[in-house]
Amino acid sequence: MNELHIPLETAKLENGLRVVISPDRTAPVATLGVYYNIGFRLEPRGRSGFAHLFEHMMFQGSEHAGKMMHIKLINSSGGVLNGSTHYDVTNYYESIPSNAVERVLWLEADRMRALKVDDENLRNQRDVVKEEVRVNVLNQPYGGFPWLDLPPIAFRNWANAHNFYGDFADLDAASLDDVQQFFRTYYSPANAVLLMVGDITPDEGFVLARRYFGSIPPGPPLPKADVGEPPFEGVRRGEVEEKFGTLPAFAVGYRAPERRTPDWYALAMLDHALHGGRAGRVYRQLVLEQQIAVDTGGGIQYPVGDLFDYNGPTLLVSRVLHKPEYSPDQALDAFDAVIDAVRQHGIEQGELEQVKVKFRSEYVSSLEGGHGASIPLYGLMHYLACFTLFDNDPSLVNSILEGFLQVTPEQVRAAAQRYLDPDRRAIVFRKPTKKAAD
Amino acid sequence: MATVQMPDPFAQVPSLGPERPVVWPARTRRKLANGLEVVLVESHTIPKFTGELYFRSGNAVAAATAKSPGLAEITATVVRTGTEKRSSRQIEEDLRRIGADVGTSAGADTSAIGFNGLAEFSGDLLKLVAELAQQASFPADEFERERRQMIEGLRIARTTPSFLASERMRRVLFGAHPYAIIAPTETQVKEYRLGQLVEYYCAYYTPGNALLIAVGDFAAPQMMEQIERIFGSWKPATVPVVPDTTLPELHGRRVHLVDLPESVQTQVVVANHAITRKHPDWLRLALANSIYGGAFNSRLIMNIREQKGYTYSPRSGVHALRQHGYFSVNAAVRNDVVAASLTEIFYEIDRLRSLAVGEDELSDARTYMSGVFSLGLATQDGLASQLSTVYLNELPDNELETYRQRVRALSAADVLTAARAYFDSPNAQITIVGDRGQIGDQAGLFGEVTEYSAEPE
Repeated sequence: MNELHIPLETAKLENGLRVVISPDRTAPVATLGVYYNIGFRLEPRGRSGFAHLFEHMMFQGSEHAGKMMHIKLINSSGGVLNGSTHYDVTNYYESIPSNAVERVLWLEADRMRALKVDDENLRNQRDVVKEEVRVNVLNQPYGGFPWLDLPPIAFRNWANAHNFYGDFADLDAASLDDVQQFFRTYYSPANAVLLMVGDITPDEGFVLARRYFGSIPPGPPLPKADVGEPPFEGVRRGEVEEKFGTLPAFAVGYRAPERRTPDWYALAMLDHALHGGRAGRVYRQLVLEQQIAVDTGGGIQYPVGDLFDYNGPTLLVSRVLHKPEYSPDQALDAFDAVIDAVRQHGIEQGELEQVKVKFRSEYVSSLEGGHGASIPLYGLMHYLACFTLFDNDPSLVNSILEGFLQVTPEQVRAAAQRYLDPDRRAIVFRKPTKKAAD
Repeated sequence: MATVQMPDPFAQVPSLGPERPVVWPARTRRKLANGLEVVLVESHTIPKFTGELYFRSGNAVAAATAKSPGLAEITATVVRTGTEKRSSRQIEEDLRRIGADVGTSAGADTSAIGFNGLAEFSGDLLKLVAELAQQASFPADEFERERRQMIEGLRIARTTPSFLASERMRRVLFGAHPYAIIAPTETQVKEYRLGQLVEYYCAYYTPGNALLIAVGDFAAPQMMEQIERIFGSWKPATVPVVPDTTLPELHGRRVHLVDLPESVQTQVVVANHAITRKHPDWLRLALANSIYGGAFNSRLIMNIREQKGYTYSPRSGVHALRQHGYFSVNAAVRNDVVAASLTEIFYEIDRLRSLAVGEDELSDARTYMSGVFSLGLATQDGLASQLSTVYLNELPDNELETYRQRVRALSAADVLTAARAYFDSPNAQITIVGDRGQIGDQAGLFGEVTEYSAEPE
């Protein structure tokens, strides 16, 4: 019941490009993706927001497919496409009727081989990205909370601590040279994995991968990156003004363990016991029972990433919007009492068993969905990419569940004591500037 | 030595291969003796199942009959907080025990109990859904908590540009019709009485008003038997009929400006009346919309995003409610290009109303629409969503099977006809949410301006 048997075949081209294919003939559609092992953590200093701006540039033209061609060719094949920038990876993906697989590979290979963009494209996408930042952060209640608020408080290494969406001055400073330099440095086949899931046979997929990607030069060796972070010491507090929203809020970040360590499995179960919907301890106690909070949420990399898609220092985050009649300190005390209880007593055996069933159920759903029904099998593609780039083992997608299901209550309690330390954490408060009515 | 010339694989865009047939799975349908309509589809992609128990009544009915906007929504919210057999906490822990999720919600035309869970526990989950549908206990303390939550949620929504824009646009388009109201005021929420929720629940959460859709890893005949066992004893009741209200007639472009001080961007919505999902012109309009601003490579997005950089995610859409529909264009734009954006929005509308689209663009758009439709086949969620559209709108049983073929039969004349009929450029209503001091002058260029504050009416 707990073992998954998702079929996988892998290959590595001479230029270092890894290829992972998971055939599934359910429907005549496929989802394809190229993941590059570079995210906003390693963008150049003085160029905050650059990795994401660069992601936009990848849609602006390559040697054989000029501006707008990429989007037009996918849409006119009956498919949809997008890209996204994460801490440690950037992805480009398409869901298409399976008769367009070859066309998509041609397009992805062309932009891996030769990005071809000009100053006009850069100016255009810089403007687009600024509107993206405004609509998602600057002009939204609780915009960027807490994913942009916490890192500068929690971390000391610029790689982990800077504004990942980008200061506008840095976006303005980005030049076409920066674009080509970033492309040459990180967008090489050896630093990428090509994924094909859905209606494609492995034989056919590997032939096409070689045909279009095989001749791309491997690229220079990757520069050494330092994402190291000194150990957390003390409580790091910060405040951010909330210009729109009417409720005070805070978020707490605890350092999370490295992926696939014993503590990581245990902390994932604890995270679910704390933040797993309305049954989770934080929501149940703060919102449903004590009614101090109005909304809560949390998780590893919450709310912009998940348990699997990071490869450097990260946080277990908890986010609380609370009623204005409680002071931030009162609300924080109530939150701390929930955390203190799991540090003292761990969680109950029965609770852990429930969490495991729910975790398994959600994991399976996230493989098929993960991005709504518009990108079938997005989650499967995403996990395969992360397990390939970070762990060199895509078959973890089938075996990883076992590690979570073996966690014991003692391990959960130990993880709580080690990681949910009230004396080693970051806290950010969002303070509304408007007074709520009443 | 002779060299072998390898053909350059990049010289030409690969053509599309032969299509594999798109085969929609069989539906198993039955109407139970108590009137509950059931639609099942097997999908064995993952060991789970998903579905919705819909009631064909929502906030519009509540606004029309009880004069209480949002009543359907608060009713749905409180439904999940207790039954005759289980407390709120018990419900949440039981769900976690079987790895399931339940979501209760209400829109304008429906109330719904959505569910998904592991196939191995399908009986337990369906029993809980049946309990929520028949035996919700409406605990007073849970109601009071949810009432406060709703008020706090509304206060935050009132600072969200996209919410304020939709709210104003719907009021302008729908006038005295209940579709005009997308959210209650704080005062209205404070006036809800628990008895009203119970009345609404008793009147509309009935089997004859319900549609149960389930998709997943089960054998349909066994699942149908299980559903008969669990839902068969549900008592039928007649559902009150609610008369439709006429819509305001809108003559001439007008500008509706909602002032949101300090806004660093402006939310623009252009909208007009259109049609319902059952209307014979629906596909024509959907194709026209796809060419205009419904797809990434559509005219509007290529213009105001990819050429001009005014906005990040402009979109147009055709929205079908049960009794009426509307067309809208949405964009969050830089404050200094509000007028310039509106100019382009109307330019692209008027162009599509004036000139027939060329064959290539038409053919690309048809392939886009039919291709994207088939993506819904691949997942349980995708199938459930397609089935909901068909059966909630009472479309023909072969709607899914004939859809692609009907899209491919559409012509440039169809697009032109639909654009002329339903992109009502001369009478379009313009809603703008932003800092009046920065955008007021630009707004006045497009018609008479009425100003509003972000506070509720």
